[in-house]
Amino acid sequence: MNVKIILKRLLFLVLVIWAASTIVFFVPRLSPRSAIRERFGELARTGGFSPGDMEKLIASMEKQFGLDKPLLEQYFQYLNNVIHLDFGYSLSKYPSTVTQLIAQALPWSIGLLLVTTILSFAIGTVLGAIAAWPRAPGWLRSTATPFILLTGVPPVIMGILLVFFIGFRLKWLPLGGAYSVGIVPTFSWTFFFDLMRHQILPALSLILGSVGGWVLSMRGMGVTIQGEDYVNFAEHKGLTGRRIFRDYYLRNAMLPQVTALALALGTVVTSAIIVEGLFGLPGVGTLLNLAIRANDFPVIYGVVLFITIAVATLMTVLEFIYPLLDPRIRNQ
Amino acid sequence: MVRLTFAAALTSLALALTPITTFAQDAPSPAAAADIVPASLPEVPRNQTVVLAWGVSSGATIGTTNPWSVPPTYTHQEGNNLLWEPLMYFAIYKNEFIPWLADSMDYTDDTFTTLVIKLNAQAQWSDGTPVTSKDVVYTFQGQIDNERLQYHNQFSQEVASVTAVDELTVEVKFNAPAPRFKFEVLTEKFDTGISIVPEAYLSAQADPTAAPGRDEIPHSGPFNVVAWNNTQKILDLRPDWWAVKAGRVAEPAVKRVIMVNILNQPIDTVAQRIVNNEFDSSVDMRAQIIGTILEQNPDVQSWTGKESPYGYLDWWPNSLWVNTQLEPYSDPNVRKAISLAIDRNLIDEILYEGADIATIYPFPLYPNLQAFADSPEVKAEEAKYEPGKFDPEESAKLMTEAGFTQNGDGLWEKDGKTFDATIQAFETIHGDIAPVLAEMLRNAGFDANVNFGTDAYQNMTDGKAGLYLFGHGASLFDPFEALNLYDSDFAAAAGAPADAGRFSRYSNPEYDALINEISPLDSSDPKFIAGAAKALGIYWRDTIDIPVIQWLHRIPYNNHYWTNWPSASNPGLGTNGAFWAHTGMLVITGLQPSGN
Amino acid sequence: MASIVLTAEQRVEQPGKLTLLLRYLRRNKGLAIGLFILLCLALFTLVGMMLINPKHAYPLSAPLKQAPSLKYPFGTDFFGRNLLAAMVVGMWQTALIGVLAGGIGTLIGVVLGFTSAYFGGWIDSAIRTICQILTPIPVLLIQVVIAGSLDKRDVTILTMSFIVVLLAWMGPTLVIRAQVLTMKERQFVAVAKLSGMSDFGIIFKEILPNLLPFIAAAFVGQVFAAVFASFYLAVLGLGPLREPLLGNIIWAAQSQGAFFNGWWWWPLEPAFAMILILGSLALVNMGLDELANPRVRRTE
Repeated sequence: MNVKIILKRLLFLVLVIWAASTIVFFVPRLSPRSAIRERFGELARTGGFSPGDMEKLIASMEKQFGLDKPLLEQYFQYLNNVIHLDFGYSLSKYPSTVTQLIAQALPWSIGLLLVTTILSFAIGTVLGAIAAWPRAPGWLRSTATPFILLTGVPPVIMGILLVFFIGFRLKWLPLGGAYSVGIVPTFSWTFFFDLMRHQILPALSLILGSVGGWVLSMRGMGVTIQGEDYVNFAEHKGLTGRRIFRDYYLRNAMLPQVTALALALGTVVTSAIIVEGLFGLPGVGTLLNLAIRANDFPVIYGVVLFITIAVATLMTVLEFIYPLLDPRIRNQ
Repeated sequence: MVRLTFAAALTSLALALTPITTFAQDAPSPAAAADIVPASLPEVPRNQTVVLAWGVSSGATIGTTNPWSVPPTYTHQEGNNLLWEPLMYFAIYKNEFIPWLADSMDYTDDTFTTLVIKLNAQAQWSDGTPVTSKDVVYTFQGQIDNERLQYHNQFSQEVASVTAVDELTVEVKFNAPAPRFKFEVLTEKFDTGISIVPEAYLSAQADPTAAPGRDEIPHSGPFNVVAWNNTQKILDLRPDWWAVKAGRVAEPAVKRVIMVNILNQPIDTVAQRIVNNEFDSSVDMRAQIIGTILEQNPDVQSWTGKESPYGYLDWWPNSLWVNTQLEPYSDPNVRKAISLAIDRNLIDEILYEGADIATIYPFPLYPNLQAFADSPEVKAEEAKYEPGKFDPEESAKLMTEAGFTQNGDGLWEKDGKTFDATIQAFETIHGDIAPVLAEMLRNAGFDANVNFGTDAYQNMTDGKAGLYLFGHGASLFDPFEALNLYDSDFAAAAGAPADAGRFSRYSNPEYDALINEISPLDSSDPKFIAGAAKALGIYWRDTIDIPVIQWLHRIPYNNHYWTNWPSASNPGLGTNGAFWAHTGMLVITGLQPSGN
Repeated sequence: MASIVLTAEQRVEQPGKLTLLLRYLRRNKGLAIGLFILLCLALFTLVGMMLINPKHAYPLSAPLKQAPSLKYPFGTDFFGRNLLAAMVVGMWQTALIGVLAGGIGTLIGVVLGFTSAYFGGWIDSAIRTICQILTPIPVLLIQVVIAGSLDKRDVTILTMSFIVVLLAWMGPTLVIRAQVLTMKERQFVAVAKLSGMSDFGIIFKEILPNLLPFIAAAFVGQVFAAVFASFYLAVLGLGPLREPLLGNIIWAAQSQGAFFNGWWWWPLEPAFAMILILGSLALVNMGLDELANPRVRRTE
């Protein structure tokens, strides 16, 4: 891997971020709606507030948010802000900045999403590899089947069903909230266990439906690799099954899986919007959902962009660590 | 290619390092909102704690406790009403004022141009300093000077002067008779009215409308904010509340209030958590859900006990508003035809289990307003115009007369276009009624649909084609404010945005004359009642908007840990039962432990 | 067993296409089950469309909140929809969105993929780069932004499909491109070229037929993505509200607290329908992968 490739990847990253920013900037501005007026309308309706002269207030807010300037100027200003990871102020939670809100919500989502994604990835990959491995015993190969059947189930539906059956009916686990009411987060075991109890159902709703996808792609990959010469060669060399499974088979089949993992981190966030809402967890998904409801557009763009940047960066990082997984690329 | 790549990477790097000041925004950078984290939180047992389910900081900023903080960052609804107090509260169900920081507040002349306020001598801020006339003058003057504050318009237009006569006395002079200023502005009830703020603290701030307040601003109310983050807000009772010493109320039994952020959790989960005794009260619910809660937990009661309609009357009766300047809604007969297509009995039956919710009035039927509605003058007008009638045939007749024909789909059509009866509404509160109304209109041939988008309010304000499902946040005591909504002073011209909540753009000199006639009159004046009844008659005759339902707050009250929640049979001080309204403080401080 | 094989070889030089298909399906069980469920769903919808009155899928057309019974086999909802009618119309609309968005997405993918791979050069780099740049952007989130900024009255079944397809053609493009590239190198294409066949002739006569399994797989994948996306938009309340789309029904049930009020059938029916649709699509997709990629084909 040389400088040229690294630079190329970095340029690619910049292009991805630019494309996402541009789409996110222009799409909402094609519609004639005024987010600020809508926001104040919402407030006026709920009775929390009834300003004397709403129009004046709106004009002053628009000025404050730079919405009175020409579109192109706004665009460049916006790009510049994005480069500095500055997504501006939240409309509904002014004077909090979008970056602050994301920072507040992020630990919750990382906790939930990263753990569930990695868990389902790990379970799925192993089960998929086993399912494709002709030497594995039959019962082991079929453990993956129930997960495959659940593949089509969107996490929302899974969540709704879990809440209904385990939360409402069986009352085994808390119905929602990030931790129990009235306690203050501390670094203690009691708090940690309380936290975990509240995370089980949301985690399950995300995991159950997504394991199958990994099983399928891994199985496909595994079957392909079985035909490869190097596996045949290893078999003829008389290597043990376990060794072939681990070094020749799993390792080679993993590569495309890892790429897919980076992409999945992006899409799984979408599921989190609703799953977090379902369970009342204050993560990025809830932040986005509330922002959609409040039409808090700086937050919407901020979250969407942030996720894009995070995913694109992760992919780039993965490309850099590819060689560590695959000696063929390392030696190129 | 390599060179190009390199150049681009370098450029992006350079851009990233450009100081932000090149394009820096004009906006001042106000203090960032940060959680309030307690150093240590004393244990308070569950049976001394009230747990309330609400969207903490759904519409406000964490840490903002300063009532002057520029909207939309401050709200009284998320427990800040436990910090701030008004001169007087109003007990809507007893039809009387509740003196609070003020012992008295009286107009000293018959023309309603001078008002004298006398403060309670024992009123105190949480830092131990007394609440004086200086604070009141500062509060009022701030509204006059700062156009972003909520009551700026009323103060700057109606108030001529505010003077401190002595330590405890304030005199307000008005430009013109202002018989309703005391009630509408200076008294707190529901979500309106003004809180008194501390002069010493705010005047020391560089910008009193930007200071967040956090847990440091001195306040007169009984609680202190001790913790506040994205998931909850905790308020603890302070031991030295002046109102106990002054004999306003007994020492509160509630030691701690926890506002739990339910974020956007589905309403049935929230309901289940009430059934599980996790929450003591919550946001208001739709009729069906609260009915089920009451069934499942015998400890939970509603305003009307275990019986329908479960809620108390809010001040926000909903109509289908239209832009009366826009074809075809400009034709009173068309508006009447829409009204005739609505079966109000069916609404009661299918949505509210037969409770009497549908209405024909643009105001809530609180005691004083009920008396007005029952007056012979109003009854005569009602008999004349039959505003609540359901008659599809007559509706069809009126539509035909207005030049509409029915097309193949059975929809009214004129010049090749169907009648646009899109109902602009809000999902969270109209999720049950709006689809039903749309279907009723569709059955009568109106091309009806529902828009629950975030642009709904915008469309109402802009006066777009369609029907707007929205309330009348106006009258509480007498019908004047509701009737005043249709004065041509507020009839914004086409293209201009309508005033908040005044979407009709109705203009009629005959009507204006009546409003001007009753404006300076006190509501007990017979001339007021006669004039108001005539105005209401015009409202029905022209079907300015189409009244649909009264607005109920159906709040579950869990008696497992706390009793003495307000209800129809136990009105307590006589306020409404919402813990998030200004009067919520009286609800919380009046709770009694159940012994559990 | 052996005799059967022999007779088959003797009598039918080329077995009928249907026979081949059935034989293949017996080996590819996932595909078979997936297709079977899809077929049942299609039957349900088509027969349903003929038997029910579509008007009953809309509010106030039936008694309210009836549990499933003989008269209303699927029950009715809070708004007085006959849920049987609502499910039929909802399935029909969901299928419409899926097929429309999936079809357009695949078509764009095929055209761009072919153009890119066959002509190569700067066209190829341009198309490939654009696809690669757009791929990491979380499509659903962008769709949320788009749907959220639309005027609600403009949100119909059609616009839903377009929103969904807008950012979903990159996948098929890249897949088709890769496959065309490998085929270009195969012998039969080289032979065709040598024999003087035109570009279009090669594309349509030689490459396209060989690509059909891939195109089919891409199409099914796209339909899956489209159904999924439209479902999410509806659950977020960004869909056409009056229509009985499956996502809309679940959303309405949730916002009326259906489970809590004991109206379990209301959200469960569309939820299971959704599971069946997405599950069968996933099975078919998997099966087509096997078909397209002979190495993955089971040997038994």
